[in-house]
Amino acid sequence: MSDKPVKFYSKDKAHKAAEKLVNEAVTSSRASDDGFQGQSLATTKASEIQLLSDRKKPWYKRLFWPSLSAFIITAAGYEAYQFVTGLLQENWLLGSGVGLLAGIVVISGGYSLFKGWKARRRFKHRQTQQQQFEQLLKGRSYGQANQLIASVTEEVEQYVRIEALKTSYEQKKQQVHNDQELIHIYSSSVLQGLDKMALDVVTKHASEAAAMVALSPLAAADMALVAWRSSKMIEQLSQLYGCPQTALGRFEMTKRVFKNMMLAGASELVADAGVELLGKSLTATISAKAAQGIGIGVLIARMGLQTMHLCRPIPFGQDDKPKLGQIRKSVYHKVVGLVKTASAGKADKSDDAIEKKK
Amino acid sequence: MDWLNKIAKKSSDIVDRSLDRNVRVAVTGLSRSGKTAFITSFINQLLHAPLTSQLTFFQADSENRLRGSKLSQHNELHIPGFDYSGAIKRLTGETAKWPLSTNGVSQAQLKCRFNVKHSWLKKIQAQSTVTIDIVDYPGEWLLDLPLLHMSFKDWSKACRDYLKSERRQEYTQKIASTISNQNYQSQHQDEVELSDSVARLSTEYKAALLDYRADYNDYGLALPGRFIMPGELKGAPTLDFFPVLNDDVLSLDWEQFEENSLLRTLEKRFDYYKDNVIKPFFNEYFSRVDRQIVLIDTCTVLESGYEAYQDLKLTIEKLLEGFSYGRAHWLKRLFAPSIDKLMIASTKADLVPPDQHAALESFMQKMVAQAKNNVGYEGVEVETMAISAIATSEAVATEHAGKKLLCVKGKEEGTGESVLHYPGIVPDKPLSRQHWDELEIDFSAFALPDLTPDEPLPQIRMDKVIQFLLGDKFL
Repeated sequence: MSDKPVKFYSKDKAHKAAEKLVNEAVTSSRASDDGFQGQSLATTKASEIQLLSDRKKPWYKRLFWPSLSAFIITAAGYEAYQFVTGLLQENWLLGSGVGLLAGIVVISGGYSLFKGWKARRRFKHRQTQQQQFEQLLKGRSYGQANQLIASVTEEVEQYVRIEALKTSYEQKKQQVHNDQELIHIYSSSVLQGLDKMALDVVTKHASEAAAMVALSPLAAADMALVAWRSSKMIEQLSQLYGCPQTALGRFEMTKRVFKNMMLAGASELVADAGVELLGKSLTATISAKAAQGIGIGVLIARMGLQTMHLCRPIPFGQDDKPKLGQIRKSVYHKVVGLVKTASAGKADKSDDAIEKKK
Repeated sequence: MDWLNKIAKKSSDIVDRSLDRNVRVAVTGLSRSGKTAFITSFINQLLHAPLTSQLTFFQADSENRLRGSKLSQHNELHIPGFDYSGAIKRLTGETAKWPLSTNGVSQAQLKCRFNVKHSWLKKIQAQSTVTIDIVDYPGEWLLDLPLLHMSFKDWSKACRDYLKSERRQEYTQKIASTISNQNYQSQHQDEVELSDSVARLSTEYKAALLDYRADYNDYGLALPGRFIMPGELKGAPTLDFFPVLNDDVLSLDWEQFEENSLLRTLEKRFDYYKDNVIKPFFNEYFSRVDRQIVLIDTCTVLESGYEAYQDLKLTIEKLLEGFSYGRAHWLKRLFAPSIDKLMIASTKADLVPPDQHAALESFMQKMVAQAKNNVGYEGVEVETMAISAIATSEAVATEHAGKKLLCVKGKEEGTGESVLHYPGIVPDKPLSRQHWDELEIDFSAFALPDLTPDEPLPQIRMDKVIQFLLGDKFL
């Protein structure tokens, strides 16, 4: 950049060539100048603070899992080959049929592995985006956020229709806004719209799961139910924020969600969910089953909120963090309503108790 | 059911009163810093906000909670009203002109109706009104604060020291020698004649210092605020005084002077000025203002060089001194100040390409750092920002010498021709004397763009200013 003042009149070439500054042109050139330094800085900084144990593991230890899986795959492949050739010798029709099945297994397995790998990569990518946004929010730069925001919008657009949110963002942003301001505007227009949808999804799944658990007669079925509903919810939520996770790829995220809930949120969990639950004397009076249902509902709601935290491209601000309270209320009402209708027929003592409390 | 309604109405009133939804915003700045434009834009944005929701960072507006706003008559009937419609007429007229600058106090009142957000308060009243009083004070008047604890003798001594500098002597030598030749002791029988001669001398004194101020934009204690901007006191005898500059007179005991002597007359006027002009002003100012915005024209400072920068820095520090009183400070005992939020804004940011706003802001921040620190220490919330009340340009990118360059595009003053301007690199910290000399920077002011009264005025970061100053009242 030159550092002397210049003036271009309308006959000058530069004046004619000037383009209204909204996004692309300068942004990209700037970003390639100095922007990416900042971004790579963000990633290195984050990875700097890490246990070094992973890297210091000796090579023979690191090779354990890959070599084991390679060994099993080779062995299985060899066995399968032997099996199929053996069958072919016996009966060519049976052999080729089994061979075809094996082929399908290999192809579909490979495909889902590939999808899982892609989803995992997308998730990693989202984590980097979060870091970049956080870095930009701290600084006072100009012209770097546009590109990042555009890429996020593109990712989200593949799965959700966000025209209305996008126009509101376009209307709100001005050419003079710096990165920090742009990110705030994007977060409060486009992402807040997505947050609302996400909260609906979480509420729906949490209250459904709560109802199911409250009604299901088998304890073993509860666990399956929770696993099924929560994985369904994570899939929907991740898709909403533009980084969809598949069965295999979800593994990484589920792991993270649980880790966050168990470790970081442990104290919160106790304070928030536990006490609330124990404190509700009504739940105790309804039945243990209903209370369990509410417990499960709140747990799933917690998982949903954690997933939102992980998938949202721009981290939540202090004021716009989604809160558990609202979801808990609807979970509670759903279960109580169910129990009431279920026990409406029986002239039960517990029914009276509910009526009284109500 | 009538009594129920009555109770509801009453509780709503109590909430309004206890929450204090009246806010008094004082707009201060040295002359030419863009106060009038700021107030015009401030009112304009708030009037348009309920209709267009253009104030992105003003939460009440972006959440669509504003129901309506209107100008109303302020309660302090002795203060002249701010001529909003006149200013808008000038801005949107056939040949657009900047609003006339005011030279005195003026006030405007604005009422905003909004939906209450707070979940508990909402149950008592669904809608509420915030009353905003915007008061415009010349910054020069705030600089009179140190005079309050000075006697006429102290002030004279301070003036004598101040006028000694070579740069000032050029302007004041003549009047200083005239003043020194006065006979301070002798009695005057004719009061009118004495008054006339004092008036003549003081006019000369003021003129000399004002000339100096016009050239260097620097002034100190020797030029009290009302000398620069007399406001409604124009021609009042209380403004006719000047300091005693003779060393021999200053060393005397003034008790022995006669009642009708020149010196006594001057002293009487100085004391009157202190007691009846400065004190009531600060009383009203500090005890009633809740929010304060100080406007600084950083662009002009950058253009004018090292000396001007140092002078302005001192002035700003003095200006902000009023906000940085300690707990047991005499000022606090006198006026019980109530300002809890202070914004220091660098105006005319529209002359700077947007990628350099951060530098502009940081430059200004460093200029006021000490003062800001003092104020923040007293628990006043302080924020700095680069703003433009009425933006005259838009940002464009062009190519120059093979490189991308961010410029501002506007209409050139005079010709009206569209012009791109790149002001040079704005420094992000104060410079040494040598760097100042090497600094190549040029902000050329643009002419006003085409404006219509039906749309909000173009602005930069006015929404953030409004959020900072008023946001917490729209709960």
